[in-house]
Amino acid sequence: MTVLYTFFMNPIFPAGRRALSLTGRINLAVILTLFVGLGLVSTLFTTSLVNTRHTLVDSNLQREADVLYTSIESFMLPGEAPIAASFFDDVSNLGTGYTLALYRRDGTLAFSDDTTIGKVNELLGRQRFVPRGQPGGADGVPSVDTSGAFSLAVAVPPESIYVTENEGGRTYKRVYRPLINLPRCTVCHGGDHTIRGVLDIRTDISASVRAEALTIAGSGLGFIVMVSVIALILGRMMRVIVVLPVQEIGRVCSAVTGGNFSGRVDIRSSDEIGRLADTVNEMVHGLHERYELTKYVSGTTISSLASGQEPKRVERTLLFSDVRGFTAYTERHGAEAILSVLNQMLHMQSVIIHHQGGDVDKFVGDEVVSVFSGDDAPLRAVRAAMKIQAMVRQRAADYDNLAIGMGIATGSVVQGMVGSETRADFTVLGDAVNVASRLCSIAKPGQILVCETTGAHIPAETVTLDGPYRAKLKGKAEPQKVFIVRLQEGTS
Amino acid sequence: MRSRHYESPMRTLSRRGTPALRAFLAAICLGGAIILAMVSCSPEEPLSLIPPGHASWKRTTSQVLDYPVPGHEDNLRVIRMNDTGFAYTITADDGLVFPEGTILTKDVYMGRSPADGAQPVMVTAMVKAPSDSRARGGWVWVVKDTKTGRETVQTGDFCVRCHHDANEKHPYGQRNPDAEFRDYVFMVPER
Repeated sequence: MTVLYTFFMNPIFPAGRRALSLTGRINLAVILTLFVGLGLVSTLFTTSLVNTRHTLVDSNLQREADVLYTSIESFMLPGEAPIAASFFDDVSNLGTGYTLALYRRDGTLAFSDDTTIGKVNELLGRQRFVPRGQPGGADGVPSVDTSGAFSLAVAVPPESIYVTENEGGRTYKRVYRPLINLPRCTVCHGGDHTIRGVLDIRTDISASVRAEALTIAGSGLGFIVMVSVIALILGRMMRVIVVLPVQEIGRVCSAVTGGNFSGRVDIRSSDEIGRLADTVNEMVHGLHERYELTKYVSGTTISSLASGQEPKRVERTLLFSDVRGFTAYTERHGAEAILSVLNQMLHMQSVIIHHQGGDVDKFVGDEVVSVFSGDDAPLRAVRAAMKIQAMVRQRAADYDNLAIGMGIATGSVVQGMVGSETRADFTVLGDAVNVASRLCSIAKPGQILVCETTGAHIPAETVTLDGPYRAKLKGKAEPQKVFIVRLQEGTS
Repeated sequence: MRSRHYESPMRTLSRRGTPALRAFLAAICLGGAIILAMVSCSPEEPLSLIPPGHASWKRTTSQVLDYPVPGHEDNLRVIRMNDTGFAYTITADDGLVFPEGTILTKDVYMGRSPADGAQPVMVTAMVKAPSDSRARGGWVWVVKDTKTGRETVQTGDFCVRCHHDANEKHPYGQRNPDAEFRDYVFMVPER
C-alpha cells in the first residue's frame, strides 16, 4: 500500500527513465482501482455461483437419496425385502442420467447374492426369505473403493459424503448416503452395527459445469470490457476535469516564465480547479504589474530586495552622462516636444549600459546615473560610454544634434537605502559618486572624462586614454588627475 | 443426517494455483476473517450443556445395558437423569412427557465389560428444550468427547431418527407394545 501511495503521489524514476505523466498515473490509478474493486466483486460473484451450483446439486442428490432411502425402508420394514430389491433394480434402470448402487457396509453390492438373506433367516431362526440361489457374495470382494469417501460414509456418526469426480472428460457428482440400522431394523439384522449400507448416486453434471464455465468466461470477458469502458470514460473525465486544466495552467505559467504576461487561464468553473485558475490569473496579473514596475527601479534595488537592504561599503564604477545644452533646447522647443527625443536618448543609453552589465541607478532629468560592479567594471563603463557617444554621433539627426558629456569615476561607495519608509531609493553614496558627477559636469559635448583610478584599470591595448590632465573639481581642494577617452570614428 | 464433502485427490490437484494466486486468495481470506472477527459481537463460548455433576444423578434403569444397539453397538451404557426429568407425566392422551429442563445422559464405555474404574469414552445427552432452534423432536441432542471435553450438538437426523422408534413398537426394554408416545426415550425411567 505504501509503495502504491509513493508511486502515485511521488513517482521517482531512476535516471534515464521517463516519469509517468499525470494522465498516465490517473489512468493507471483508475484501472487498478477498477480491477481490484470489480475484481473482488467478480471473484465473489464467481465463487457464489460455483457454491450455489454445488449446493443445488448436493441438495438435489440428497433429496433423491432421501426419497430412495425412505422407499427402500418402507419396503423393508414390513418385511418386503424382495420388493425393495425389485424396486431398486427398476429405479436403477430408469436411465435418468444417474447411476445408482446400494452397497452393504463392507462395500459389496446389496441384493446381489443370498448373504443378507442367510443372515436374516439365521437371526430370525426360520426360513423367512427364500434364497435366490446366489450364494457366496462374490467372495466378499467390495464393488466400490472402500478406502476413500466410502469409509467416511460408514463412520459414526453417519454423514452423507459428496464427491466430485472427473472421468473421461466429464464431471460427475456423487453422494454416498449411509443407511442407518434403526432399532426397528434390528429385529431382522441385529443390533451389532450402526450402518446397514450405503446408497450411492452418481450423476453427470458436465452440462452444468460447462454452462458454469461459459458463464464465468462470459462474466470475465464482460468484466474486462466493463473495466476498459469505465476506465476509458473515467480517464477521459479525469482528463477533462483535471489534466487539461492543469496543462492550461502550466502553459500560462510557462509563458510567464518566458516573460509573456498576456496569457490567461480560461477555465469557467466554480470548483477547486476554477478557483486555482482564478488565483493563477490574479498572480499573473500581479506579476505583470511588478514586472512593469521593475522598469522604474534599478536592478540593484531589485537585487537588494532579495539580498537584504542593509547599507554596505563596496567598490563601484559610476558613469554619469548628461545631455549638453538640453535646458536651452527645452526652452526653444517646449517640454512636451522634447520628451520624445529625450526618451529615445535615455532608452538608447539604458540599452547600452545594460548590455555592458551596468545598472541604471536613476534618471535625473536628462542625466543618467549608472553603476558598474565587478573587477572589470571600469573597462565596461568606459566601453558603454564610448558606445553611447558613437551612437549619439551616428543618430545625430534623430537626436536633433544634441550631444552628451560623460564622467566616470571608480572608488569605494556606500550602497544602501536612501529615503523614507514610504518612498526610498536604493543607491550609492560616496566620493566616487561626487567625482563622477563633477567629471560629467566639466566634460565637453561628446567627451568622456575618467578619474585616475578608473584610468589605472583600463588596459592600454583596449582603450586609449589621453592625459593625465589636471582638473579642478568642485569640492576638491587639489586639482585631480583626469583622463580623456580617445574616441575612434565608427566606434559602436 | 449431517453431510460433508469429500475432496478427491484429483479435485485437490485441480484447485492448486500459482503461489501468487494462492497468496492473493489467502490475503483476501485473511482480510475477510479479520473483518468477520471485528464485526462479531463476542467470542463464541465453548458449548456446555452437560453439567459436570451428572455422574451423581439417579440412573433411569437398573438393567445392565450391554446388549448391542445401533449407534453404540455392544458398548456398555449407563443412563442417568436429573431431578427435573423424574417429574415426567404419563397420560393416556399424551403418553410419556418429560418437563422442559430434563437432561438425560448416557455414559458410553468401551466394550461390554469395562474394567472397574474405567471412564466413559463418550457421553451423549438429551436436553429437553423445545424452544431451542437446534432441538429436534423437542430435544437438543449432544455428544461429548470425554478425551477432549468438547461437546457437539447433533443437528442431523442420526440421533433423533433412531430415538424416534421409541415412540413406536421397538425391541428394547418394555418394547412399547401399544406404540404410545414415549418422548423419544426407549425405557420409561424407574422412579
